[in-house]
This record gives sequence, C-alpha cells and structure tokens, in this order.
Amino acid sequence: MPGDSSAARMQSGIKVYGQNHTEVWALDSVSVQFERGKFTAIMGPSGSGKSTLLHCTAGLDNLTSGQVWIGKTELGSLNDKDLTLLRREQVGFIFQTFNLIPTLTAKENIILPISIARKNPDLEWFEKVVETIGLKDRLHHRPSELSGGQQQRVAAARALVSKPQIIFADEPSGNLDSHSGAELLDFLRRAVDEFGQTIVMVTHDSSAASRADKIMFLDDGRLVGEMPDPTIEDVLDRLKQYGN
Amino acid sequence: MIRVTLKGILAHKLRLALTALSVMIGVAFISGTFIFTDTIDRTFSDLFDNAFSGQDVIVQSETEFNVGFQGPPPFDQSLLDTVLAVPGVAAAEGRAGGFAIIYNKDGDAIVPMGPPTLGSSLSIDDHLLGAAELRAGRAPKGLGEVAIDARTAKDNQLDVGDQIQIQTVTGVSYYQLVGIIGFGATDNLAGATFAGFDLESAQKLFALEGRLSSIQVLAEEGIGSRTLRDRIALAVPEGIEAVTASDEAADQAEALSENLGFIQIVLLVFGAISVFVASFIIQNTFRIIVRQRQRELALLRSIGATGIQVVLMVIAEATVIGIISSAIGIGLGFGFASLITFVMTLGGFELPATTAPLAMRTVLIGGLTGIAVTVLSAIFPALRASRIPPVAALRDVDVRLKRSERARTMLGVISLVAGTAIVLSGLFTNVEVGPINELIAVGIGATIVFLAVSLLSTNIVKPLISLLVLPLLRLDPVAARLASQNSIRQPRRTATTASALMVGLALVATFFVLGDSIKATTGRAIEQSLRADYLVSVDGFGGGFSPLLSEELDASDEIAATTSLRFGFWDLDGSEELLVGIEAETVEATIFLDVKHGSLSDLAAGGVFVHEKTADRSGWKVGTSIPMGFSTTGLQQVEIVGIYGEQNIVQSAFLVGLDFYKENFQGFGTDADVTVAVKAVDGVPAEKSRAVVEKAAINYSNARVRDQAESREYQESRIDIVLGIFNALLALAVLIALFGITNTLSLSVFERTREIGLLRAVGMNRRKVRRMIRWESIMVAALGALLGISIGIFFGVAITAALSRFGITAISIPLTQILSLLIVGVIVGLIAAVIPARRASRLNVLEAISYE
Repeated sequence: MPGDSSAARMQSGIKVYGQNHTEVWALDSVSVQFERGKFTAIMGPSGSGKSTLLHCTAGLDNLTSGQVWIGKTELGSLNDKDLTLLRREQVGFIFQTFNLIPTLTAKENIILPISIARKNPDLEWFEKVVETIGLKDRLHHRPSELSGGQQQRVAAARALVSKPQIIFADEPSGNLDSHSGAELLDFLRRAVDEFGQTIVMVTHDSSAASRADKIMFLDDGRLVGEMPDPTIEDVLDRLKQYGN
Repeated sequence: MIRVTLKGILAHKLRLALTALSVMIGVAFISGTFIFTDTIDRTFSDLFDNAFSGQDVIVQSETEFNVGFQGPPPFDQSLLDTVLAVPGVAAAEGRAGGFAIIYNKDGDAIVPMGPPTLGSSLSIDDHLLGAAELRAGRAPKGLGEVAIDARTAKDNQLDVGDQIQIQTVTGVSYYQLVGIIGFGATDNLAGATFAGFDLESAQKLFALEGRLSSIQVLAEEGIGSRTLRDRIALAVPEGIEAVTASDEAADQAEALSENLGFIQIVLLVFGAISVFVASFIIQNTFRIIVRQRQRELALLRSIGATGIQVVLMVIAEATVIGIISSAIGIGLGFGFASLITFVMTLGGFELPATTAPLAMRTVLIGGLTGIAVTVLSAIFPALRASRIPPVAALRDVDVRLKRSERARTMLGVISLVAGTAIVLSGLFTNVEVGPINELIAVGIGATIVFLAVSLLSTNIVKPLISLLVLPLLRLDPVAARLASQNSIRQPRRTATTASALMVGLALVATFFVLGDSIKATTGRAIEQSLRADYLVSVDGFGGGFSPLLSEELDASDEIAATTSLRFGFWDLDGSEELLVGIEAETVEATIFLDVKHGSLSDLAAGGVFVHEKTADRSGWKVGTSIPMGFSTTGLQQVEIVGIYGEQNIVQSAFLVGLDFYKENFQGFGTDADVTVAVKAVDGVPAEKSRAVVEKAAINYSNARVRDQAESREYQESRIDIVLGIFNALLALAVLIALFGITNTLSLSVFERTREIGLLRAVGMNRRKVRRMIRWESIMVAALGALLGISIGIFFGVAITAALSRFGITAISIPLTQILSLLIVGVIVGLIAAVIPARRASRLNVLEAISYE
C-alpha cells in the first residue's frame, strides 16, 4: 500500500510499444513514488521514457504491466468513465503545446474543468490563483491574443483551479523563452510552497529542473538516479556524467 | 461545455455557412411546398366563398362524387317554379352554364393551362350574382351580347364595344362585348376565363333549352340558410339536391385542392431528395471537423470530459446548426413558394402573388426534418469523436478507429441486395404492408441502394481514381498525381462526397431512360396503331371543342371517317379511373384497337371494352359485369363486351361507346370532343385533305391539327417538358452536392495547410496548387457521376420494365443525354473547386509551414 506521503506511485511499470521486431520498451520495470506537497522533476535524454512515465502515471495511457496509484486509487481497476472522473477531480495537466481551447477566453479556459464537471467555481480560490499568475487584466482575451508565457500560465492556473491531488506538467517551459520560462517556474514553485500543491514535471532544461525539490533521472526506460534539493550546478554535473 | 460548442461554431463561420446551406435548401424546399399548397387551398376557398357569397341555397342535380369544375348535369327548368313556391324564398333564379372559349383579337382561343373556360348565365338579382360585379359597361341582354372577366379583358386588350368570337358547344359566333366583370377583389376565378350571358341566350348557346344547370336561392330575412335548405329539399323531386351555399363553396374548394394534390406530393419527394443529399454533406463535414479537432477534443478528455460529453458536444453543434439552418430554410420557403407560384403563372395558372401565412405544420415538419437530418448525420462522427483517447492531446496519434473494412463491405453488400430486392418487389408486385405501398417501397429501396453504393464505393475509390487519373497524368503529371493521391488518402470521405452528387445524377439518368422509353413506345404506337391521317386535339390539360367540328368533317367528300374521343372519370370500388368515350362505329378506320375478344358493334350498343392487361389482372372476361360509378347517373353494372390490346393512342384501359358516354357524363365539359381522329379518303393528296381539316378546325382555334409525324413530335415535346421540370427540381440536389464538394475540399485544404505550404516551399507555384485542387475536385465529381449514371440506368430500366403493364413496352437508353451527365459532373467539379483552389494558392508559405 502506498504510504500517506505519496500523491502518486508506480509499481514495476512496464510499457512496450509495437510488436516483435519493432518492440520498444519505453518503461522497463519502473517503480517511483511522488511525494505529496513536493515538486518533482523527471529528466532524461530523448527516448528515455520520461514522457511515457508521466502519461502512464497520469492515467492518460495504460501500462503494459505493473500498477499505478493516484492517492489511494489503483488506476488499472478503473474503466474509462471512472478514469475520466479521476482525471477531472484529482489530476491537473500542463502540456508543452496546445494547452488551451482557442475559441475560449482565458477565464473560460481556466474554469473549463469545473464547467465540465458542472460545478460552481470556488471564486475566492479562483481570484487567488489568478492573482498569483498575474493575469488579472488578460482574463477576457483569447489565447491567440496572449503571449506564449501567458498562455502557459493560463494552463497552469487551469490545472490549479480544481485543487487536484497532483499536477503533471510535460515540458511546460519547453516552448518558452528563458524569461517566460522562469516566470512560469516561479509560479509552479509558489503553488507548491504556498498552496501545498504536488507537481510532477518532465523537462530536459536543467535550470527548470533545479527549481524542483527532487529530480529523478531516467535512461532507456529505467530509473537511474535521484537528486534531492538540486542546484543548477549539481544538475549540470550529473548530466555531464550521463553524457560520458 | 455548451459554451465550448457555441464558441466552436462561431469560430468557423464558413464551415457553418456551407453546412447550413445544404440543410437550408432542403428545408426551404419542403416548407416552401407546404406554404405553396396552403396558398392554393386558401385561394380556392376564398374563390368559392366569393362565388357563392350572398346566396343562401343552391339547387342542383345530385351527383355521386364531385369532379371539380365539372358541374352536375342539367334539369328541367320547371323546377324553378317549385322552388319559388317554397315559403321563405325571397328570390330564386335559374342558371345555365357550359364551356365557353373566348377568342382574342387575332382569332386565337384563350385557353389557360389547367383552369377551365367557364360560360354561364348571369343572375339579374345582385345578391344572386355572388361576388361577380360589373366593373364596366352593363349586363348582357339577348343573344349576341356578352360580359367577360376583367383579367381576360385586360390581358387581351378587349374592351366594352369590341366584337369578339366565342366558342361553345353550339359553335363559334361573334358577340358584342358589353360588360367587364370582376369577382370581389380578384379579376378572375382562379385563372378561369369567364363569359356571361343572359339566361335565355345561355340556354341556347349551351344547348340547354328548357333546362337549367342550377338554381340560386336567396332566403327571406330571418330565415337561416339551413332551414331554407331543409324546406327546399322536401319540395324537390328525387335526383335533385339542395345545399347551403357555404357547404357548396367548401365542397368545390376541396375538390379542386385535391386535384392539385399531386403537385404537393411531387414537390415533397424532390424536397426529400434534397434533404437526403444534404445528409451526406453534413456527415462528411462532421467527420472532418472531428478529425481536425482531434487534439482539442483530446485536451477536453484529458482534463476530465467524459466520452459521452464529447458525443453530446458534437451533437449539440449539429443541433445548433440544424436549428439555425432550419429557421432560415423555413424563411426561404416563402421565396421558394413564390418561385413555384411564379413558374405556375408562366404556365398559365392564375395564382395570387401573396403567399399564405406560415402554418404550424409547416414549421414543425420543415424544422424537425432539418434538425433531425443534421443530428442523425452527425451521430457516427460524434461516436468516433468519443473514441479519441486523451493521449491524442500530447502526441500525434493516428486515430484510425476503423470499423473493420470487411464489416463495412459486408454491410454494403447486404444493403445493396436488400435495397435492390425492395425496389424490384415494389416495382413488380403489389406491396401492402401497413402504410407502405409500391411507391413508398420503391423510395425506401432506392434510398437503401444509394446508401449501400456509398458504403461500397469506399472500396472502389482507389481503383476508380487511379483509372480516372490516367489521362490526366499526361496532361499535368505532378498536380494530377498529387490530386489523385489526396483523394485516395481518405477514401470514405471521397466516397461520401461523390455519393452526394451520385444521388442527383442517378435520378436524372433514371428520368432520361424512362422518358426515352416512353417516347420510343408512343412513337411505335403511332406508327403501328394510328390509321388516321390526322389527330385534331386540344393542347394541355382539360377542355375540348365543339362536336360541330367533326360533323363538318364528316360532311366533307375528302374525309372517309372521323372518330371522336372524350374523357371521363368514374369510380371503381372507391378508386378513380379514367375512361374514354369513343365513336365505336368509325374507330376501325382510324385507330387499330387490336381487339382480342368481342366486337366493336357490341361496344356501340353499350357495354365496356377493357384492356387485356387490366382484364387479366382482375380476372375479367367478356361477359363479366363490373360496377361503374358515375358522377351523374350513379352506380351501374356494366357488361364487358370486348378485350383490346392497344393502349398508347387511346390512353385508357376502359373504352365505352360515345352514346353510352353521353348518357352517363353530363355537365360542364363533357359535351366537347377532346380528340378527333381523321381518316382521309384514299387517293386524296395530303395537301388537299390537310387543307380540309385545317379549314374545319380554323374556327376552333384551341383545336390543333397534326399528322402522324407531328403527333409524334408533340408527344415527345410533352415528355420533354415533364423531364425538364423534374430535372430543374433535381438541379437543386446537384447544387447541394456541389456545395458538398466545395465544403469537403475547403476543409481538406485547411487540414493540409502544412503540406501545401511545404509544396510551395519546394517550388510549386500557385497555378499548380490551384490545378492540383481542381483535378481532385473533378475526379471526385466524375466518380459521383459515374456511380450515378450506373445506378440511374439500372433504375430507369427497372422502372420501365415495371411500366410494361401500363403499355410502356420499349426500353431505350439515350446515350448522348446520359453521357452529357458526365460532362455535368466535370463542370460541377470545376465550379466546386473555385473557392478551395483559391484558398490553397493564397496560403502564405511561411505561415503555412509553421502552422500548428
């Protein structure tokens, strides 16, 4: 059973794409657990399986074998409808691109998960989130009228607004210039520090990863190391090791 | 979620517009038909209310059933005294009527298409005149004076003081025009021409001396029309009835509306075809939309939208489009109704320019059809949307949620077989399953066949397109190759787009085959069965000319024989049948009837001849008595005295002798000949005999003289007119299909923005890009045309074969006309490509390749 301190956990996760000759082991028996109220980064070279780990843990994709828990719920036992409900209630997402519905305003995008669930937004919380991301005056703009950084902050606010157990972010700053990227990470950091939010982020940007509480390193579908309280120098050193 | 839906619709206005347009046209067609028929109904009820206004009771001969303008037979005028003696009658006047054809200043008959040429005496008492009132001049007095309706006067520049010719059953004479008559607010009675005389003259002109057609009665003050009706009913002898004027008005209006009911059915069928074609386009649009919005839908799924919510979202979008386009469609229905009215006016029908108000039924049927079709067409794409996995938001997954191709092929084959079976059983057997009769069975079967071919054509898109592209590859190798590959890429999409065009062109081809077969049949019939040298007949529907014409010919030395033909409707166990009254004494010389049993002398003596196919089907033989219900004389048992095989000249399955006809058909129009077949004396040169016939007919200018070749041409031209009308109506279906190709291509261009940008980046110029889109469009259209032509030939041959029991014995496929449909297909493709090709060629290269 997962300990109380973990928001999500994977046990012996295996994910195989393709068949026979074209078989690719994207995850090769991975066991990880993400601590509640912490900001975890996952790093690794292209094709190391970091995105697959994220998708499977988030319930967007199925494992070939192994188990995943979010909170106390084991995902393998859920049907599509329950899985959808779980995502709606307990999981938030921030993607690299195509995060927002282009036809909706920023505000409508932020409260979309709540509208989908046909609930009333918690206005006080909404105000607080919006204040934190600093987009109060851009709420009625369409995504096309926002900069890339602003769009990602809207996406982050959307993930935060339904108070999920855990937020998964897939290269959230990958498409941003360094200044916007830093702003977004500031915001994620504050969400963890001030609101106690759990965040798991996949990235290959070492400065982004260094803002996390812990970094997990993945290579060839295996967990190859962990680094608590990283600094940017530590991360660069570590990457240099893998490079060799 | 509703908000996501609505905003999604508003963000894609062109897509919305094109999809909505296809629904709109169908809905406009259907609601316009209802508005139009409502207008007709209202016109007739207004008309007869007018005609009978002011009167209380009508006394006339009792009839078995009402046949529109053909009034009841006359009775002895002594009845007027009986009616006048009834207490409570304030005034009563007899009326005598018959057909009266007014001639214009050039001596040509003024014959409206459809509405009758009415002649009647005018009542002296103002109240008994109905809505008729003198607009100018005075009432006619004595033989030789006439008043005519204002519309006829206006259209032909006739005025009080003019000398005009009028033809009645007793011949053509000159009259002094002394008065112009209006009917309340309108200038004529639903398009009918009207000539009014005084009673004594009318009796003479209409050969009704001592007799009356009806008696108009005015009640004394304080006496209700029903009360008076009951009193008169007690006083009059058997065979005469008294009805209130308002009942009679309603009866006549209803009878006339029923006569025009077939127009409603024809228009609704074509409306249904438009809607059916539109459904292909809606389905395709949604399929493409779902594909294009794959990432957006996946994003919604990943942040917690359930599959059902996604389905509902797509359905909601369909519903909104359905509602908007139905609403606009119903509005356009008024325009469509006005258009039909206008076309009918061109054809000579007189209809008011103002349309009837919108009835609830129109809104319901039109609206529900539009919404239902849109939503139903979106269901499969919606289900497909719900199967998009949330991961699709993160990576480019190929969501080929294919129902297995085998399953689709199986379904296609099964429905093709079933549909064909239903069509054939509808055509060749008597279907009677609940409300489903032969006609509906053929319709359902044809629909299934179209759907099946649409499904199956997915499989043949690839080979057919590969074949179609061959000649183009020489012409334009690069663009044509890319175009063909693009159209093969999504075979289901291409097949659906082509199918929309297929439906319209298939039906056109069906009518071509059918029309050509009918032409061939009548041509053969005229060659083989028409012994007469000339046919003298009236054009259009209804009406006739005075029997004096044939009498005059009979008296001529150059003419060997004339045979008069008249038409009448009668009732066979509740269904209306047509019969022809024919001069049995002379028919042997003029028309080869192919008598199988019995003799013509028995026909002259009374009794009925039945066509062999009808007799076979009903198990009748010579000697069988059949129940014939006549409007005038009621039900009679009539003995079959002969069986005949000719059907295309006499155009009826029942023949009676002319004397029998005159006994049982009395009243308006039955005293005129519709056709006279004329045989010249052998050896008389054609110029001479023709001159004799023309001279006899000259006074009856509604009578046309045609020799055999001209008769054949005339029959062909009549078929061409009907074909023309049907094809014009089907043109709408083809137009909708054209929108469909435009829509699909526009969406495809949008979908391939990056690809087109890439082509441009590597050096393809704008013209080539345009050509690429154009070739694709033409190939899709040609595919639809080929499929449509194949189905059309099959349907045409099947229907023609089924019609053999109605005498259509030749099967003929007009190759030139059919091939012209292929050209129509290519033109449709060219036009459909204009907008998408321009869009594609104007893409900004840089934006296109960086487009996300």
